[in-house]
Amino acid sequence: MLKALSSDQWNYAAAAHLLNRAGFGGAPDEIEKLADLGPDQAVSHLLDYEYIHDATTDPDWAKPNPEELRQFREAVKNAATPEDKKKIQQQQQQLIQRRMQELRGWWLQRMARGPRPFQEKMVLFWHGHFATSFEKVRNPYYMWRQNELFRRLATGNWQELLADAGKDPAMLVWLDQAQSRKDHPNENFAREVMELFSLGEGHYTEHDITEAARALTGWSLEPLGQKYIYRPFFHDNGDKTIFGRTGNFDGDDFIALIVEQPQAARFITSKIWNYFAGQEPSPELNEALAGVFRAGGNNFKPFLRVMFRSEEFYSPDIVRNQVKSPVQWLINSVRVLECDLPPTLVSYGMLRQLGQDLFAPPNVKGWDGGVTWITTNTLLARYNDAQALVEGQLPPLTAGDFARKEGGAGGEKAMKIFQRVRMGGVDVEKILTPEQRASKPTIVAALEHRLFQATLNSEQEQTLREFLDSKTQLSDADIITTIRLMMSTPEYQVT
Amino acid sequence: MKNEITLQTRREFLRRTVLGSSLAWTVPAFLADTFSALQAEAADSATQIVTGKDAPILVVLQMAGGNDGLNTVVPYANDFYHNARPKIGLKAEDVLKIDDSIGLHGAMKGFKELYDGGQLSIIQGVGYPNPNRSHFRSTEIWQTASDSDRVEKYGWVGRYFDNACPGADPAVGVVIGNQLPESFFAAQPKGIVFNNPQNYRFMANGTATEESYKKLNELEMSSPLPDGGPSMTPDDNSGGSIAMLPAGMPMTGGRAVDFITRTALDAQHSSDEVRAIAARVQNQAVYPGSQLGGSLKLVAKLIGGGLPTRIYYVSQGGYDTHTNQVNSQQRLLGDLGDSVKAFTDDLKAQGNMSRVLVMTFSEFGRRVSENANGGTDHGAAAPMFIVGDKVKAGLLGHYPGLAPEDLFQGDIKYNVDFRSVYAGVLENWLKTPSAPILGRQFTPLPVV
Repeated sequence: MLKALSSDQWNYAAAAHLLNRAGFGGAPDEIEKLADLGPDQAVSHLLDYEYIHDATTDPDWAKPNPEELRQFREAVKNAATPEDKKKIQQQQQQLIQRRMQELRGWWLQRMARGPRPFQEKMVLFWHGHFATSFEKVRNPYYMWRQNELFRRLATGNWQELLADAGKDPAMLVWLDQAQSRKDHPNENFAREVMELFSLGEGHYTEHDITEAARALTGWSLEPLGQKYIYRPFFHDNGDKTIFGRTGNFDGDDFIALIVEQPQAARFITSKIWNYFAGQEPSPELNEALAGVFRAGGNNFKPFLRVMFRSEEFYSPDIVRNQVKSPVQWLINSVRVLECDLPPTLVSYGMLRQLGQDLFAPPNVKGWDGGVTWITTNTLLARYNDAQALVEGQLPPLTAGDFARKEGGAGGEKAMKIFQRVRMGGVDVEKILTPEQRASKPTIVAALEHRLFQATLNSEQEQTLREFLDSKTQLSDADIITTIRLMMSTPEYQVT
Repeated sequence: MKNEITLQTRREFLRRTVLGSSLAWTVPAFLADTFSALQAEAADSATQIVTGKDAPILVVLQMAGGNDGLNTVVPYANDFYHNARPKIGLKAEDVLKIDDSIGLHGAMKGFKELYDGGQLSIIQGVGYPNPNRSHFRSTEIWQTASDSDRVEKYGWVGRYFDNACPGADPAVGVVIGNQLPESFFAAQPKGIVFNNPQNYRFMANGTATEESYKKLNELEMSSPLPDGGPSMTPDDNSGGSIAMLPAGMPMTGGRAVDFITRTALDAQHSSDEVRAIAARVQNQAVYPGSQLGGSLKLVAKLIGGGLPTRIYYVSQGGYDTHTNQVNSQQRLLGDLGDSVKAFTDDLKAQGNMSRVLVMTFSEFGRRVSENANGGTDHGAAAPMFIVGDKVKAGLLGHYPGLAPEDLFQGDIKYNVDFRSVYAGVLENWLKTPSAPILGRQFTPLPVV
């Protein structure tokens, strides 16, 4: 199990698979570079991103700002009339929404253009894993901060990540730990950290939850400083019994007890395998993965290196058999087509309609993923969004959807903004050489190579050639429509 | 022409899979009122032979956010009620009286008319044991009809399709929205999803593009496709087992692209049909301009146009009224009553009212006591509504007690398990055994 893929099996297709899964895919020359590196260096090139300089700067509001908070509270308190108060609160809400939009764009740009795609792919994993929603947290700074935490510990230590994510303000609010007191321990985080984040159902008892909630008391939030604080006064100093062990445990002790459970390694390695490989591991494979993870001191980096080098990861059952998530679909498209990410308003609208609203997963379980991304509606939306991406025109569905949600005047205003938005679209000269463009079969072949790193079936290829044959003078627009047609296939929705 | 196809076994069905189902897409019979049903082998498996035109239809209406049942079906003469709700409690003059102790919220004129016409049944105090106050979890419990401490993979509507409608047209389930609700999750996924018929299509810049799109999305005959799609796993309720899959099929059951290919075909076909119906059928009632009104307006058209659908799913959001509940609930319940009333008027004019049943649900009711912000927090049991010509009209069950000793942690205790309501709808309306769908036998509430 988990034998390293031999160097002679390493080729363009294997490199493409690695880049698609450990990143968001890329243009042919990027894949060729990886193929030339050989498997060890190719994996290292993606995983050892610490050596790659990332010049992204933080949003200017991404810091604790007690003064801003104080002023807002003051203004609400001193409002002359209820109308004034309402107005101040509305302005605050608008500010919050603007910052959230900026945050979405900031992250999407890092995925689409940043120099460390694997790190962002891990951040996306942790976001879905510790599925925390702005809908409850209501604080853009907290959401950004959590996102940065996932980035900092993306491939770090399991125990450190569990503890730090638990103490981070977004999580303290999201699962109510901030409200937990010695007299009334709140069990929400205690339960979910075991059920959804680390062990899975059936690997702890209701009693463990009650006791863990007592251990966790004292983990709290300092609202004005906007950071974690330990409050000894809230903490229950009595003995607790968790997983059959008794002691005066605190929250960190509880997290350490979790990570000691053999199931903890099985649980998280299974979930990571599923995220990157697209299906659940067999029990034998899961045991092997968990073994590697434990041997590496519960650190993710060495485990991931073995995983991405393993024969299993490149088996025919795995390759091109994963439904692209909406984020993967969008970022992958932008990367393979070498075009600009649409403006955040549009990207956000597309993703939301396709079912992946960043910073607002549907619940604490995260996105179900896999085939649940695909409904008749979301599939047609992907096909139509493809047109918007390649032609650089607005997706009619997204505009309509947005207008309906906003309703009335707000909707019309949004529509007007939408109509003014211009997006890059595909530059044909960038993606087809004059030689490739010379004949219809070479056009189809070059585009297949770029979009699928595989060939479509012969009837589909025939259909595309016939489409090109119907044009007397091949224009850029015809080639762009051909790309759109290729993206409007079931095959394009998998990676 | 009634052309009922009865397949002997699931194995035979699978043998015919790709060819059989893709032919079914194109033969004219498919466009008529008939669709096939599978004679399942298992003795206890629910089997249903249905023909489109006369078959019963269920419209599931989700009131998302947790509707405050106490201010919907109001115990206006109850002192405990008024003590618990000094600010937001509704008085005798605020309600549409049903009897000398209970009335409907004043905004629900539409429902009152239906009630007076013998078309509304109000099931009081519906809930489930060990209620969960999380929106997500409680919604999931209602969608999957699970016990509150169990997580089910499939939804109750999905299990109905798996058990009672194998081989059916994908439009056997229609969701007006964007995402498939969890209740539709199934071993053999069925159901089409859309929110706007005008946009529910492949948008093409020219006929050549459109033609090419259709060809590109045709089912690949050479790659066999298990009916279950890639998520198929052994499941007692599915009416088939993994052992019956064609030889050589991996345990995970086929490739992701096969599932998408099937969905693409469903989308292509249903898009044409849905838009044709939407353009052809005229509504014969005036609906509110709300999202719910729009959804029901569309459902009425699809019913009138003869889409072979058993279950429609619509939703209305906004019921999470933690603050300033009075105004928002007034608006929402008014919209609900008016929209459903318009829907029934429309169906009556079409001559389809007798085949349609509307069932509402919400993930939970709210606490008995109002909170400090003029609203209510997450609670437990609440009423459900069932609308139709053949409903057992009136108040079903009894109003839950509101005295402190009758409550559990400040919440109303349920006296009807929602799965008894589902069982009643499944058995008495959709005419299918409920136990294979709900996991065990619940006493069917005689709703019709």
